[in-house]
Amino acid sequence: MVQVIVDPVSRIEGHYRINTEVNGEGVITDAQSNGLQLRGFERLFQKHDPRDAALLVQRICGVCPVSHGITAANALDELFGVAGEVPKNALVMRNIHQSLNYIASHAAHIYVLWGPDLANPAYRDILAKYGDVGNAVWKELQGRFAPLIYQLNGISYPAGSSYLGAIEEFRRLHEAISLIAGKMPHPVLQNVGGVVYSPTVADIGQIVGYVSKTMEFIEAFTLGVSPDTWIENTYRASSPQKAVNFVIERLQELLNNSLSNNNFSHSAGWGDVPLFAAFGSELIGEKLLGLPISMKMDLAGTYKDPDKIGFLSYGVFFKPEKGDGYDPRSPADSRVIPSGYMNGYFKLEQFDYRKISESISHSFYIDDIKDRPPWNGVTVPEGDPENIDYTKGSKSRYSWAKAPHYDGIPCEVGPLARMMIMGEPLVTGLVKTFQDNGYYPVNNYTRMIARMQEILVVVPELMKWLTQDLQAGGKVAVYTDLPMAKSSAGMGLWEAPRGALGHWIATGPDSMVTLYQAVVPSTWNLAPRNSQEIPSPVEQALIGTKISAAENALGVDYSNPLGILHTARSYDPCLACAVHTIDKTGKHPDYTIKIL
Amino acid sequence: MDRRTFIKAVGVLGASLFLQTYKSDMAKALELSETKVVWLHGVMDSGCTISMLDGGSPDIVEFLRVYNLKLLYHEVLMMQQGIFVDGKLANTSELNSEIVLDEIMEREKGYVLVSEGAVANGPQGSGKYLMYGGRPYKEIYEKVAKNASVIVAIGQCATNSGVNAAKSDIVELLDPRGIAFTMEDSSKGIVDLLGINTPVINIGGCPAHPDWVFLTIGAVVLGKIKIPDDLPYVLDRWKRPKVFFPPDHVVHDNCPRRGYYDRGEFDLTVGGEKCLWKLGCKGPYSHADCGTRHWNGHLNLCPMAGSPCISCVEPGFPDSSRPFFVEIEKTGILGTNISTVAGVAIGGALLAAGVHAVRRTVLKRPEDEEGFAEESSSEKTGGEK
Repeated sequence: MVQVIVDPVSRIEGHYRINTEVNGEGVITDAQSNGLQLRGFERLFQKHDPRDAALLVQRICGVCPVSHGITAANALDELFGVAGEVPKNALVMRNIHQSLNYIASHAAHIYVLWGPDLANPAYRDILAKYGDVGNAVWKELQGRFAPLIYQLNGISYPAGSSYLGAIEEFRRLHEAISLIAGKMPHPVLQNVGGVVYSPTVADIGQIVGYVSKTMEFIEAFTLGVSPDTWIENTYRASSPQKAVNFVIERLQELLNNSLSNNNFSHSAGWGDVPLFAAFGSELIGEKLLGLPISMKMDLAGTYKDPDKIGFLSYGVFFKPEKGDGYDPRSPADSRVIPSGYMNGYFKLEQFDYRKISESISHSFYIDDIKDRPPWNGVTVPEGDPENIDYTKGSKSRYSWAKAPHYDGIPCEVGPLARMMIMGEPLVTGLVKTFQDNGYYPVNNYTRMIARMQEILVVVPELMKWLTQDLQAGGKVAVYTDLPMAKSSAGMGLWEAPRGALGHWIATGPDSMVTLYQAVVPSTWNLAPRNSQEIPSPVEQALIGTKISAAENALGVDYSNPLGILHTARSYDPCLACAVHTIDKTGKHPDYTIKIL
Repeated sequence: MDRRTFIKAVGVLGASLFLQTYKSDMAKALELSETKVVWLHGVMDSGCTISMLDGGSPDIVEFLRVYNLKLLYHEVLMMQQGIFVDGKLANTSELNSEIVLDEIMEREKGYVLVSEGAVANGPQGSGKYLMYGGRPYKEIYEKVAKNASVIVAIGQCATNSGVNAAKSDIVELLDPRGIAFTMEDSSKGIVDLLGINTPVINIGGCPAHPDWVFLTIGAVVLGKIKIPDDLPYVLDRWKRPKVFFPPDHVVHDNCPRRGYYDRGEFDLTVGGEKCLWKLGCKGPYSHADCGTRHWNGHLNLCPMAGSPCISCVEPGFPDSSRPFFVEIEKTGILGTNISTVAGVAIGGALLAAGVHAVRRTVLKRPEDEEGFAEESSSEKTGGEK
């Protein structure tokens, strides 16, 4: 047995470590997911004005501050008793703000954080087995995805074309956000009862211009076809099978053109998605398209026991046709991307927030009760340095993240969970295609395809909100005043780009905060084991995955653990979010939010 | 062009215009020898790295190229990660970031250290609240910081520990340290604790503005700010470049909504277009050039988008500006900027009498001052020239 540790896991947000045991065949047999940093964030709200939360919570995460701001604003809406009256225009503004952040955040993850692993030299050697075609594909991977700091055999290579292009679009989308939200990151739009800015017709036109410009990048770099064509044939396809057929036929056509001349460039129509879609998957690339080789991403990062995993979405983006206000407790019917729980066998159930609980059995916290719902959370951080030790294995305490679960089951959250729960045709079709061919359909390949596809789901909705639903100069907030928050409680349920995000807040008779709690996407995905000893989603996904590239295609190489790197990064880790704490150090009584 | 003219030019022109105007300096810059840059992330939310990616003039790639910088280590922008097999460092420096870091600590000297995030000192001085490659981050920081020629601390987490050090019942246990200050206390910076003598430049803000960071490092690389000789003249008492954090200028002075303030027209609820003073705007005591520079492609700033300024650049942030939505004179937050707050508050209270006249009498026009002698600089705010 060989111990392989990745520490720090770079190209993520925050500080993260993965510890694995790997057997002689190069298969990971045990894994621990370690959150390395304690920030104690939510504690700073105690005894303070609750209205500060929508701005201050954004400092939890510089990558998804928008989601934290909106989720806090949602919790404040309920706390102040105004959720039912928030003007439609404000809800549309929240949608626009969030969707711009989705596109930027997904682009950053795909290209800047996850993508560079495609320029790992292991793929040069694997693709070289496929002669000139393989070498041509490797040149594309390296030329598109090399990050800013990248050396190979002593030579520094310039950053990749897609990588640099994505940073430019990221910047452009943040400019669009700043137009309505002051600045980015840490924008200032969200507030209790609505938003603080009523957009002008000029703002709307300018944002439409920014998004259209970004679509040019999506066409030239990401898809290789116009976004309209892609959306029409996938997101708006009449059946999941038709969506998959469209993609496979497109890939077949590209291969027919390129296998003779070895031209896999962007200009030959090989967008980043087609290139990854064809060469990333054993099923799609080798079995369905007849390629002799692939990166076999569909065999890594899967779940082996469907009874121990679920998929969760709280729902995101208000439906403007519902008019003013929303029900904070039940997002089921009011969100464009719906809430829902899907079990490990892909059976969909209604989401019920009361089934959320968090374990601390394997976290560095002190509490006699090992499972509590977030609205009654208790956390005393370990204060003795001797007890902070990440090396004692799966039975020990080994992370600053808690372990949330839904009805006892750890859940994957994020774009793949959302697209499956939504029934998005392309992702649903891929899930079925993998199932029909004996593959577990949730894997590193589908996780990345779903993230990309969600951009194309969000864009047409964003354009509709901007051009049809948003009323320039319209009412954007209802009146609130501090006494309205007296002895109250609120819950905000939303979806950050990387998954389900919940905030819980309670106040005392003086309207000051008595409890603040956030349960964030990376806590779901990257937790330690829960109190039932069930490994977290990332731990389950690592156990059974091969340590090296393409199912150890070049043999077992413990020193280049791409199996860990792809899998861990496929969840878009955000560790500053994941590690959080609130409640007592013995100085304060427990507080219970009355929402049960 | 002397130093002072230069940094003023950078501040006034904005980056892109500056790059066009001073092509001869730029041409020389291209002949400059390479400057190495090490970028470390401590206790933070990566917001400043995101903000640097949002820089447009120059953008981060141009910035590195124009100033001939070699970025040795940046955990978000590098191929590498830490890899250990059976406890030993594996692979090479091309894939293993821990080897890169060890090489920096063993061999490199005289680099620019860009410091993002606070340094965890808790619990009990162990630094174990942030581990990194199996070591407390604090230990790595000590070694890397001691061999740097200058530390550029970016963002409030690094400059003053920011939200990490906000008052709470566990902040003493957490003990997160800013680089040269923790909140407003200069005796509690990590450099003091660890005996690090490397000069520090603070670029505050939550997040820091990319222009502030890139143009400051650019001025250092071009020799327009000489380390350490020029620092007493170009930095304020919080170690911030005065060109971006002017002692005699606040956000309020150039706020696009300033006209409403002068006419005494105030928004009492959000969503309007008038002055945000009564909604808690802290612009009158926030020393930054947001009002002229603007954010994200120089497009916007918080009060222009309808939100009170929350003074995310000041050393006591966030405690010195909480509660965000309560008018300053009602909050009782009277920190180091007491005279500013008092001055502006008096002006505000007497608006009905005509604010211009009142403020001219209440707020004496400051003398022009140089260097560090700005302990009374807060009286200069208010902007009536």
